[in-house]
Amino acid sequence: MMTALGRLSAARIVRSPRVWITLGAWAALVLGFAVTARAQGWAHGADRVLDSVYGALALPFIACALVGAAFGGRSLVSSTAPLVAFGAAPWRAALASIGVAVLATAFLGAGLAALVALIAHGVADPPPVRDAVVSAYVGGLGGAAYGAWFATGATIGRRGGGRLVLLGVDWLLDAAGGSTALVTPRAHLKNLLGGVSPMNVSERSSALALLMLTAIGILVAMRMARRR
Amino acid sequence: MIALENVTALRKPWSIKNVTIDWGPGVHAVVGTYQDGCALLLAVIVGSAKARLGRVRVLDGAPTEERVRSRIARVGLEPSLPDPLRVGEALALAAVVRGDPPGAPEGRLSVLGLETLAARPIASLSLAEARGVALAEGLTSSRVRVLVVEEPFAASDARAAGRIAEALRSKGRSGCAVVVSTASVRDATDLADDYVLMRGGLVAGKAASLQALTGFPRRGARMVIIARDATQARALVGALADHPEVTAVELDANTATIRGPDPMALARAAGRAAVDAEVDVVEIRAEPPSLEQARAAVAASGVA
Repeated sequence: MMTALGRLSAARIVRSPRVWITLGAWAALVLGFAVTARAQGWAHGADRVLDSVYGALALPFIACALVGAAFGGRSLVSSTAPLVAFGAAPWRAALASIGVAVLATAFLGAGLAALVALIAHGVADPPPVRDAVVSAYVGGLGGAAYGAWFATGATIGRRGGGRLVLLGVDWLLDAAGGSTALVTPRAHLKNLLGGVSPMNVSERSSALALLMLTAIGILVAMRMARRR
Repeated sequence: MIALENVTALRKPWSIKNVTIDWGPGVHAVVGTYQDGCALLLAVIVGSAKARLGRVRVLDGAPTEERVRSRIARVGLEPSLPDPLRVGEALALAAVVRGDPPGAPEGRLSVLGLETLAARPIASLSLAEARGVALAEGLTSSRVRVLVVEEPFAASDARAAGRIAEALRSKGRSGCAVVVSTASVRDATDLADDYVLMRGGLVAGKAASLQALTGFPRRGARMVIIARDATQARALVGALADHPEVTAVELDANTATIRGPDPMALARAAGRAAVDAEVDVVEIRAEPPSLEQARAAVAASGVA
């Protein structure tokens, strides 16, 4: 049942040329930086590209675009309306759509991070294969957290405009620093990618925080979708 | 199958108040406009609007229960279909969600003559085609026991229009409760076994026939006769003048509308006049009252 329900969101992603152009553009930007780092022999090439371009810029925008595509550019409630019209329970339809969005952002985040680690690898970076595996793990966690974060945003507004609001909130709270940064995926992703640690939390805590943000985001989005 | 007890609901700016209805299998018409709360009443039945007061039971449960939800189909004025899919894929998805056995989409769509839409992307469908697909889904699902249709003949595909009435009646005969809401008294009389007349969110009257509801025969019947051309229509009107059963005649091009106290006598007079004047009649039909006439009749008779 869940697989069948997830087909709608999956089809929205796969059959939307617009989202592929957006994803292609962001991936090209990140990989372009990775190639530049390699060509110019940056000692910490992988670390720098992952932290500054991939984690701070590309992944949030990629996740925002993917979630928007999975929900057809509408709110979560309105995007799952066709499934509810066929008799699916609203929470089940919402979970299937959110699940597709979270999995898509996690896989894309993991794949892109691994590629960047391999291409931008510098002499001072850890061994390339190990670095690629760890980067994929971090990218997957970050992608999933952002997927759930923007899924929550998609429950706000008639066309799910809350996604863009949460994109701004993620950036603003992290920039403000302090304890408020701890509620954003950006702060923990930055910590795991070798950047500044928010409130000096450990990498393990940041990984757990990303998992918790994913779970909380999914639950909040489902809860909001049930209100109909 | 559908039981509403003193249901009050509000969806701004419309509301329904103290609605009590008990429907079993068959085709049931809710006659009235959007402003009368007809769409809100349907929304309450399918569980997309909450009842503030009263009790709503559909298939022995609340319409929002999972067990019940998958057995209700609603065809709104703008049906919600999974836009990135093709029609065939959407029907297959609906079958999985409802628990129907898989079947060829062409076979399901053929109930309304829409089999050629099976391979079309839903995003490319016109409103009429989308409504046809949504209706075909509800009509052909073996799990659907309650089918709710807003304005069944409005924005209907030309291929489907001629088949909708029989398809809905057939679904009703199969043990399903089919509820249609319409502002057209004629559409209601074409389709339904019984009627609920809504006015300003209240049930103005309920009856097994609209004539019984409005006291229409007591106030006189209207009959429309369509001749082949205007010349024949004029000859027909001339012949009708000899019949005392006909109290009023109106001529408009090739269409004559006659009125009289007794519908049967009126029909006999029309037939005799057609024979006397040697006129080829294209169509002859009893004209149901308009919504306003029906409301006025109900208000005057105090049925509610």
